[in-house]
Amino acid sequence: MEVLVRIENVKKIYRRDEFDVPVLNGVSVEVGRGDFLALMGPSGSGKTTLLNLIAGIDRPTGGRIIVEEKEISRFSETALASWRARHVGFIFQLYNLIPVLNAFENVELPLLLTRLSKKERREHVTTALNIVGLSDRMFHYPRQLSGGQEQRVAIARAIVTDPTIIVADEPTGDLDARNAEDVLNLLARLNDEFQKTIIMVTHDPKAANHARRTLHLEKGLLVEMLTGSGIATVSARAEA
Amino acid sequence: MKFSKLIYRNIFRNRLRAILTVLLMAAIFFFIATLLSILENFTLFSEAGKGQNRLATQSAISLANVLPVAHEQKIRQIPGIADVCQMQWFGAYYKEPKNFFANFAIDHHHMRTVFDDYAVPDKEFEAYANDRQGAIVGPELMKRFGWKVGDHITLKSTIFPFNPELNIRGVYQHPIDSSSLFFRMDYFQQAMGDNGLVGMFWIKVKDAKNMTAVSKQIDDMFRNSTDPTETFTEKEFQLNFLSMMGDIKLLFHSISLCSIFMVILLAAITMSMSARERVTEIAVLKAIGFPRGLVLSLMLIEFALLTLIGGAVGVIGGTFVYRFVNMTQVTQGFLVNFGLYPNPIIACLIASLGVGLLAGGWPAMRSANMSVVDGLRRVV
Repeated sequence: MEVLVRIENVKKIYRRDEFDVPVLNGVSVEVGRGDFLALMGPSGSGKTTLLNLIAGIDRPTGGRIIVEEKEISRFSETALASWRARHVGFIFQLYNLIPVLNAFENVELPLLLTRLSKKERREHVTTALNIVGLSDRMFHYPRQLSGGQEQRVAIARAIVTDPTIIVADEPTGDLDARNAEDVLNLLARLNDEFQKTIIMVTHDPKAANHARRTLHLEKGLLVEMLTGSGIATVSARAEA
Repeated sequence: MKFSKLIYRNIFRNRLRAILTVLLMAAIFFFIATLLSILENFTLFSEAGKGQNRLATQSAISLANVLPVAHEQKIRQIPGIADVCQMQWFGAYYKEPKNFFANFAIDHHHMRTVFDDYAVPDKEFEAYANDRQGAIVGPELMKRFGWKVGDHITLKSTIFPFNPELNIRGVYQHPIDSSSLFFRMDYFQQAMGDNGLVGMFWIKVKDAKNMTAVSKQIDDMFRNSTDPTETFTEKEFQLNFLSMMGDIKLLFHSISLCSIFMVILLAAITMSMSARERVTEIAVLKAIGFPRGLVLSLMLIEFALLTLIGGAVGVIGGTFVYRFVNMTQVTQGFLVNFGLYPNPIIACLIASLGVGLLAGGWPAMRSANMSVVDGLRRVV
């Protein structure tokens, strides 16, 4: 499998008042194109931080993050924003839809940064909403949708630009079991059918089972790598 | 404008807050536009005689001091003068002190040549000229007191020891002044015991190019007399007259600036609240690739539009209010032909836009500069 994301000895230290709080202590991992990777671990283990670094919304204190042979950790803020617009789709735990925009307009948001015409944007949005099964809720506002539907709109927003990577931070954390299963099946479908590379943070082993691979983090260290069926190999070691 | 929908929806996302902000802006800018229009009204009045080649000669001591009537003949000897007209500010009211308005005794023989911008029908002027107690009145004043041509009225003087009894003989038309009353100088002089004194002279100069020279010649002529004069152009005279009320311009501008400062602070509170509520949304926009500059621009446009709408409501509302409210009546003749003028309207619209940019600048910059991770972590 072609390597899409290469993380080399990444460290992240947050400064809280006068204290340095190390969150990632030298993590190295590779993610292949078309992979579906789950990041698991207890609270404070650094999984969301690692996801944020891969998505280019945070910068490492040390180490390198290379996506498609480009070292994004060295990009300027403007270049990083432009890169995210073209290459990353985001799915958040609390959906984070814009409440004043309807489903169609929310999905259209990332396309406003492109040079697509209004007609082309409409086609893309319609396709994305069809994929997530919400073409009949196009003009509903977030408050008029259930949690599961909101998350599916968020997924449509994440895929509408056909990004290189989809990052999902606890995408089922706020959903009931049935809706969570629907969302996970949808993500698995995006991975299987559309060969989307997905990196997902989750606490839930059932959710992780939908992934092709699972990485386990603890205290900022990558401790083991599992497949959907169990422990496979320990591919990365902590470099404290 | 791909982002217009996002901007529009965000402006009215909290409808009550948006309406209250618009109303606040509207009230403040209605007030400021009114103050500035009052100043504009004064200025327009001071330019009422523009192009009329008129000079005003008063006592060099003050406008309240009188001059000998005999000065007139000496002034007439100066070359380049077309005519001279005696005038006396009378300062009376009708029935009650609240019914105060501008009224003057004027030499009717020279009124039409010196004040030829005051149009009176020949027949009416003839009736006025044939009646020692005749008066010519502005149309606004006629309307204010319900007077008709032929009415007999009595004015109550606040300065002189007699109350003129007048017959309204005609109505004048003037592009700006519509609220004055003129009665005959000979009636005034007779009532005052023919003391040979008058408030001032208005001088019509044949050629505008000679205004300065004639003005200097008049004052030079009386410089060493017991009654020295000071001569002004009509605009200077009107502005001097207005300045007797204190530095209204400075006062009005100060009040306007204080109001704008106050409204900036109030708008800043509203906009900070609005920005704070949307920290997570802004973080999401930045996460999906909206650059910092775009986020900043969108927020600034939103805030500036909100205050601009408020400013527009204020000045448009004001325009309608003054169309239906007779300010001449309300201010007892102090403001004539009053309405919101284009310059104050434009100034208020620009200022309202500025309020949005200034008040929204800090919250917008804070939001745009906040890191995506911090924004997503924030629970509002």
